[in-house]
Amino acid sequence: MKRYMLSLLIGASLFFTNVSSQVAAQNGPLRIEITDGVIEPLPFAVPDFVPASGEAAQVGRDIARVIASDLTGTGLFRELPSSAYISQVRDFAAPVQYADWKAINAQALITGSVSVSGGQVTVQFRVYDVFSDAELGNGLQFSGSASGWRRMAHKVADAVYARITGEGGYFDSRVVFVSESGPKDNRLKRLAIMDYDGANVQYLTDSASIVLAPRFSPSGDRVLYTSYESGSPRIYVLDIGQVQRRVLQQQEGTMSFAPRFAPNGKTVVFSIEKGGNTDIYAMDIASGQTSQLTNAPSIETAPSFSPDGSQIVFESDRSGGQQIYIMPAGGGEARRISFGQGRYGTPVWSPRGDMIAFTKQNQGRFYIGVMRTDGSEERLLTASFLDEGPTWAPNGRVIMFARETQGAQGRSSLYSVDITGRNLKPVPTPDGASDPDWSPLQN
Amino acid sequence: MQTGAKISGAVHVGLILVVLFAGSFESDPLPFEMASATVVSAEEYAALVSGEKQPEVSETPEAPAEAEQPAAAPEEPPAEPEPEPEVAEAEPEPEPEPTPAPEVAPAPVEPQVRPQPDKPDVVEAPVEQPEETAAPKAERIAPEIVETPPPDAKPDEVKQAEVVPDEGAATPQEPKEETAPKEATDRIEPEQKPNLALAPQQSVRPSVRPTRPAPVETAAAPEARETPEPKPVEKPVEKPAEKPKPVQEAKTEPKPEPKPEAKPVDTSSAVNDALAEALGGEKSASPAPSGPPLTSGEKDALRIAVQRCWNVGSLSSEALKTTVVVNVTMSQDGRPDTGTIRMVSSSGGTGGSAQQAFEAARRAIIRCGASGFDLPADKYAQWREIEMTFNPERMRIR
Repeated sequence: MKRYMLSLLIGASLFFTNVSSQVAAQNGPLRIEITDGVIEPLPFAVPDFVPASGEAAQVGRDIARVIASDLTGTGLFRELPSSAYISQVRDFAAPVQYADWKAINAQALITGSVSVSGGQVTVQFRVYDVFSDAELGNGLQFSGSASGWRRMAHKVADAVYARITGEGGYFDSRVVFVSESGPKDNRLKRLAIMDYDGANVQYLTDSASIVLAPRFSPSGDRVLYTSYESGSPRIYVLDIGQVQRRVLQQQEGTMSFAPRFAPNGKTVVFSIEKGGNTDIYAMDIASGQTSQLTNAPSIETAPSFSPDGSQIVFESDRSGGQQIYIMPAGGGEARRISFGQGRYGTPVWSPRGDMIAFTKQNQGRFYIGVMRTDGSEERLLTASFLDEGPTWAPNGRVIMFARETQGAQGRSSLYSVDITGRNLKPVPTPDGASDPDWSPLQN
Repeated sequence: MQTGAKISGAVHVGLILVVLFAGSFESDPLPFEMASATVVSAEEYAALVSGEKQPEVSETPEAPAEAEQPAAAPEEPPAEPEPEPEVAEAEPEPEPEPTPAPEVAPAPVEPQVRPQPDKPDVVEAPVEQPEETAAPKAERIAPEIVETPPPDAKPDEVKQAEVVPDEGAATPQEPKEETAPKEATDRIEPEQKPNLALAPQQSVRPSVRPTRPAPVETAAAPEARETPEPKPVEKPVEKPAEKPKPVQEAKTEPKPEPKPEAKPVDTSSAVNDALAEALGGEKSASPAPSGPPLTSGEKDALRIAVQRCWNVGSLSSEALKTTVVVNVTMSQDGRPDTGTIRMVSSSGGTGGSAQQAFEAARRAIIRCGASGFDLPADKYAQWREIEMTFNPERMRIR
């Protein structure tokens, strides 16, 4: 009997091992393909930064608020209110209670500490991918003057943005623009500069003369602009830090305008109107040597370099209507890239190099749009009575422009929009504003 | 010894087989035997006895129909449906008081509901009706069931005879059958149609069935049509069909799962092939033994569940050009083991963007898997390891 039982047991065990081996043998991974997702703001939490001392408490709160504002302002993130927090962060070094943050669906968590000593502010922060129970990247630390705490907050937000999205941020940047006040028929204009979010406005010129089209240098330390100070439009270079300016060399009897730096920061391209004809020229700032890039009886203006400095995009009416063309940086044959209905102008090459933003006018309305550098995939992002003057954020994801309302009391103000066409929103300025130019990220 | 061992082994195997399959075999023979035995003995006697009077029956139904029209069916309703139909009737009665329909309804409803399985044999229905009308004649049968009270039991006995063929229950089970079948019918009706609007419909259906035999008689049909009109005619037909369904559904709620499996057999086989190809030729020969692969519906459910949490809104345009393949090991409760989520490969975009694309994919798996994906537990071997390809091509900004 024992043998029978034994044989039975052996047979049974063989049977089951056979089955289990078959199961194991068949265990290839199940494969599925995900092609549809959702596009919605990513929920995040940024508790007040933990102060190292009592005097740092307010700074810790302010920094957290600026970070939240930066991220929320992109339209890509959504802040969870502190009232929803289950656990509080009172120790920057303490382990994160992931479960508490998962419970409120905080997908990203930003914690930090701030200390103030001797007029210096030091900020440390960490970013967590809550649902992965892991930190995104390593902690970072910034130090600066107490008055520059907003910049440190912007830098933290830039780092968070980059770690989550995979592309650079644009928060630690500035915008130069023309501040406008007074009625339309007697408008006073002066140059102003501010943080990208409208904070820290400073005026660079007075309102004595009309100023136009300020443009940052690639390093963000200088601004080119056009002024009627001498009675006719001339181009000036302004050093922002020292608020010193000088006029570019100019031929007598000509008008020069629409200047823009080359990516190397040493060359300027601009338009010269001479004898009723306008063409594009380039000038070496140091030597003042000028070369003509276009030579046509039509109007060529609004030049903008590609990021690599090899090409220039500009507008021309050589075909009858105003259209967008691209030519080599040294001049030469230009190819037209805009073919839609209406007129195209003020092209600006994206800092990423893949797109060109423009102003389009068609049937009495103005549009801000983008297209690929070959003219394909044209996409209009805005439409209104008057939208013009697009400028790119440093990461090439957002465009700022000026929008003017209709009528004698019409007022010009700044707006920003994502290149997807989403997240259109006004940029706060103390007065009217036009002609914005977005700086690169600050160092 | 060897022969003894072989014999014992064979016997044991046989015993195992018997143990494994005995349950299904045993259940079948029992009902068959019961059915054959009872049907032959009890009913035929009654049928033979009443069969002689069937011609009379054809005339009798006309009589009750006429009696019903003037709403003069006092004798039949009280005698037959005292307990069962009263509930259904009580509801409709207050609403359509003027209409004689409720009165008509109760009498035919009960007998008809029970013979429903006999529907194919329309001819038989009239045969049964005479039994009811022949309730006084049932006294002849009474001697068999004498035990129960003679007046009230008469209708019950008739019902039992009808039920018997269905379940094959023995005659001694008569008292049990009375309660059991009645309760079942009562429960079914309120579950599906508790509302007032449904109650009148139920009362209508008895009128309809009399209409079926009516075409033969031609007298009852026009009458029934006058009161309830076409609606009741259609509804009662649908109701009997629907009623049995809910009963099954309620009982077999878990069963719907196996059903989809059976349906997409074709696709599952296709999936099998695809899996075999994907796995390579080495072990492709052994996909079946561990159970069927996930059906396309089950895979779609998983795909949709992950998509719900795959948020690409915060991804850079470079990351949106990056397709990542992510491998995850699942626990048996349908939750992903977050520690096992890894990027198998990526294509398109840049190296840096692949990390963000992977993180978005990981968040999707973890977030929507936190409460467990709805995966068939019996196919765990099939989805213990999952390889998901996140292709953002359709989500890319154009």
